Amino acid sequence: MGEQRQILLTNINEPDQNTLSAAESRGAYKAIRKALEMDPLKIIDEMKASSIRGRGGAGFPTGLKWSFVPRDTGKPVYLITNADESEPGTFKDRALLERDPHLVIEGMLCSAWALQSNWSCIYIRGEYAYPYERTKRAIEEAYEKGYLGENIFGSGFTHHMVIHRGAGAYICGEETALIESLEGKKGQPRLKPPFPAVAGLYGCPTVVNNVETLANVPWIIENGGAAYAELGVENSTGTKLVSASGHINKPGVYEVGMGYPLLQFIEEECGGIKDGNNLLGVIPGGSSTCVLTADECKGVNLDYDSLKNAGSSLGCAGFMVMDDTTDVVEAILNLSHFYSHESCGQCTPCREGGHWIEKIFRRIAEGDGRPGDLELIENLCSQIGGHTICAFGDTMVLPYRSFIQKFRTQFRERISEVLKGIERKRNPMDFEVGGVH
Amino acid sequence: MSENGQAQEMVTLTIDDQEVTVPKGTNLIEAAKQAQSEVPYYCYHPHLSVPGNCRMCQVEVEGAPKLMIGCHTQVQDGMVVRTHRSSETVKQAQASTLELLLINHPLDCTVCDQAGHCKLQDYHFEYNAKPSRFLEEKNHKVKAEPLGPTVILDGERCISCTRCVRFCEEVTGTGELGLLNRGDKNVIAVHPDKELNNPLSGSVVDLCPVGALTHRNWRFNTRMWFTDTTESICPGCSTGCNVRVYERDGKVVNVKARLNGEVNKEWMCDEGRYGFDRFIPESRLTSPTLKGEEASWDDAVAAAKGLTSGKTLVLLAPDLHLEEFAIAQAFVQQVLSDADVVLAYRERTLTEVEAVLISPDYAANFRGAEFVGLVSGDLEQQYTQALEQLQKGAYENVLVVGDRALCVEDQDQSAFTLAMTQASCSVGILSDARSKLAQACAVTLPSRPFLEKSGMLINRTKRLQYARKVIEPGQGSEPSWKILGRIAQAAGQSIVEARTDRDVTLSLLGAEPRLKGLRIAKISREGICLDSYTPEESPADENASGDARA
Repeated sequence: MGEQRQILLTNINEPDQNTLSAAESRGAYKAIRKALEMDPLKIIDEMKASSIRGRGGAGFPTGLKWSFVPRDTGKPVYLITNADESEPGTFKDRALLERDPHLVIEGMLCSAWALQSNWSCIYIRGEYAYPYERTKRAIEEAYEKGYLGENIFGSGFTHHMVIHRGAGAYICGEETALIESLEGKKGQPRLKPPFPAVAGLYGCPTVVNNVETLANVPWIIENGGAAYAELGVENSTGTKLVSASGHINKPGVYEVGMGYPLLQFIEEECGGIKDGNNLLGVIPGGSSTCVLTADECKGVNLDYDSLKNAGSSLGCAGFMVMDDTTDVVEAILNLSHFYSHESCGQCTPCREGGHWIEKIFRRIAEGDGRPGDLELIENLCSQIGGHTICAFGDTMVLPYRSFIQKFRTQFRERISEVLKGIERKRNPMDFEVGGVH
Repeated sequence: MSENGQAQEMVTLTIDDQEVTVPKGTNLIEAAKQAQSEVPYYCYHPHLSVPGNCRMCQVEVEGAPKLMIGCHTQVQDGMVVRTHRSSETVKQAQASTLELLLINHPLDCTVCDQAGHCKLQDYHFEYNAKPSRFLEEKNHKVKAEPLGPTVILDGERCISCTRCVRFCEEVTGTGELGLLNRGDKNVIAVHPDKELNNPLSGSVVDLCPVGALTHRNWRFNTRMWFTDTTESICPGCSTGCNVRVYERDGKVVNVKARLNGEVNKEWMCDEGRYGFDRFIPESRLTSPTLKGEEASWDDAVAAAKGLTSGKTLVLLAPDLHLEEFAIAQAFVQQVLSDADVVLAYRERTLTEVEAVLISPDYAANFRGAEFVGLVSGDLEQQYTQALEQLQKGAYENVLVVGDRALCVEDQDQSAFTLAMTQASCSVGILSDARSKLAQACAVTLPSRPFLEKSGMLINRTKRLQYARKVIEPGQGSEPSWKILGRIAQAAGQSIVEARTDRDVTLSLLGAEPRLKGLRIAKISREGICLDSYTPEESPADENASGDARA
């Protein structure tokens, strides 16, 4: 428990791992052969036994999600791999698609067999040009080899796979917005219910899973759900890819067993804080999770429960480290600009409130903060969270609230400097964002 | 609720501590109406898809972790729902939504056409009414951008409810509109190389809950509070769209579709809307004429009596009221000895989009003429044949009732009107002094066009509706039923005793067995489907209550 353990990244540094022959020589496409001899429902049981939770951020149990798919509707079942990895601070799926795409394809094939789906799609974010080329080539190779298409491995099972590039919207990582986008519409979340498992792509039962989640499936097939459940800790089984960035010496993608101690991760895996500075705080799960101060990080482990108890969440493990040179006002302004820019604009609280908050943060950063601004932002957060169509609004306010709550002194100082007539720290023209949309 | 008599599964729930029972599948916005609770909304429309984007209709549902939107939440047995009336959380959420909707709104109510019937104004007053905390600069978007020949956009006033977009996608299927950009930069726009130009395009203005979309030809006409409003029916075709007409100083300044799920939902065609006053003649007959010369009513009526003997063609306009048809029928039966009755009826070919709402005829009340037994069978053929016979000189007399008794598009109008002048007696009960009919008739008696009178209509699907008078009758005119009555009287027959439009309606409701039990107020609401109506024995004089405007 809690140690480095390689399931997904075993071959990630092999330079030719993206080619089918090399990947196969290292064991790829063994699990799918085994899976095709298994009862599809048995695979779902194995997934349940593994207790694996979705790696895209929400942490919903994957086996349970699959079991919601009705099997007698007469409609096709669609499997979609969510590779729209757009959360600031997250780049783990990119590593898999770029360097070991056959692992993902095999995971999708195993899942497709379990769900009896004959068509799947990788929805990849538009900016991921290189991973797109690599994955596209890998799919072509699999078709050439007969691993995709009709009668896969002589099983009679037919499966077709396509890769589709997004057009640069964060919201298309939300599964129903992704489906809308895939249908050729503007990427905007749908009202739920119905959930995609019942009525997703073109109104058919659809499963949307994160890249990393599906990449775990071959291992689970080969080793069994129970073996997987032994990895990690209770409620957080298996390993987790962590995208580590920020003020650390060795940023990158790491695979750790669930429950790995947070501070040890910074020290041992990430090579410690840059330039010998002190830790200010960590955003552990991607930008839409609550920030943890250095003090709060003590004793916290990288798993769902531990981070939840600490007041944040594992999310998709977009692990951003900030040292004490960080200007928290600039940091949150940057984030708020991202969220207001990425709000799809469909529902009122997120569309209007998100941008309003950005404008206030900008004012504070530019030296025009006023007493009451922080309270106003906190109030606006409560007007947005819980009142929107999708989780975007709910999660957008988490960093705002936690930054203000945990770094209130810094914010207050910035506002009072203005009141005391101290010269502005920054020139408003330095940071010209929001002009182009 | 259902008129076709199907048994519906009912659900009982509690809204603001009041128990209500509604059909299964009803949403909470509609259900709340039964508890006399208002759930406010912008994006929801009962006849469009539910996007749930405005967040105005949030309600508290016991057991739900957060507020639910009324538009997307269906009733369930035993559900306990709280609206702003009994929930502080809902009150706050709605006030918050309004605050957010207004931060980028230009607040230019002083020059906005929507002022006075704007849902932003109304709801802000009722559900928020607090000053804004917004100190930043508002967003700027397109202003006065024509979307097509009929509609113009003010992007800053828009609240992105997408009703207009959904209308063009779901109702007309033309899909000209879309929402460009993301976040608070989003703006309604027409697709490249397209314009909003479909037969129902003006409906998007009705659907716009704010002043973002306005009619190009009616902009800046008047403040809405200076207008008189009448609930009426469009006379353009037999769909019988329910409309609300805004009139000021005798001029129609705006026409809106009125919600009626059984007829026109809340849509209306541009032809009907922008041409609503097209049947009001520019030049009126103000006194009776005899051979083109002004004459007294008595002389003209006496001359008209001359048509009561001999073979007569009765040519009826298709937009006469049911009451007028009923009296015309009495006239034909009791006064005329040998008459052929035809209705001016032509059908046209409609495009797919037109057919969404428009009926192929121009005959608002041809069903009414059928109802009273004046005409039946193939109306268009009868009309064509009658005109041919008239040209051949088969009729001694011609009686024309209504300006639209001759279809405008009939190519050889002149031939018919010439044939009429050769009849021994031709009488026109008309209002338009310049029409060919008025010039062809030996006797003209000034009557009233559709908008100047109240009465009943039966639409294509046999729904009985009530159209109220929109503007005051022209000087010197009389209702056509009264004129028919005077001619009958001159011929020694009494066919009508009423003095007002309303009297005629009431006496018809009282006398016609198939309409027994109906009241004007009841017909006015959503109309009555005659195919499924069972006449009641209760007397129609209950009409005495509350209908003074008729």
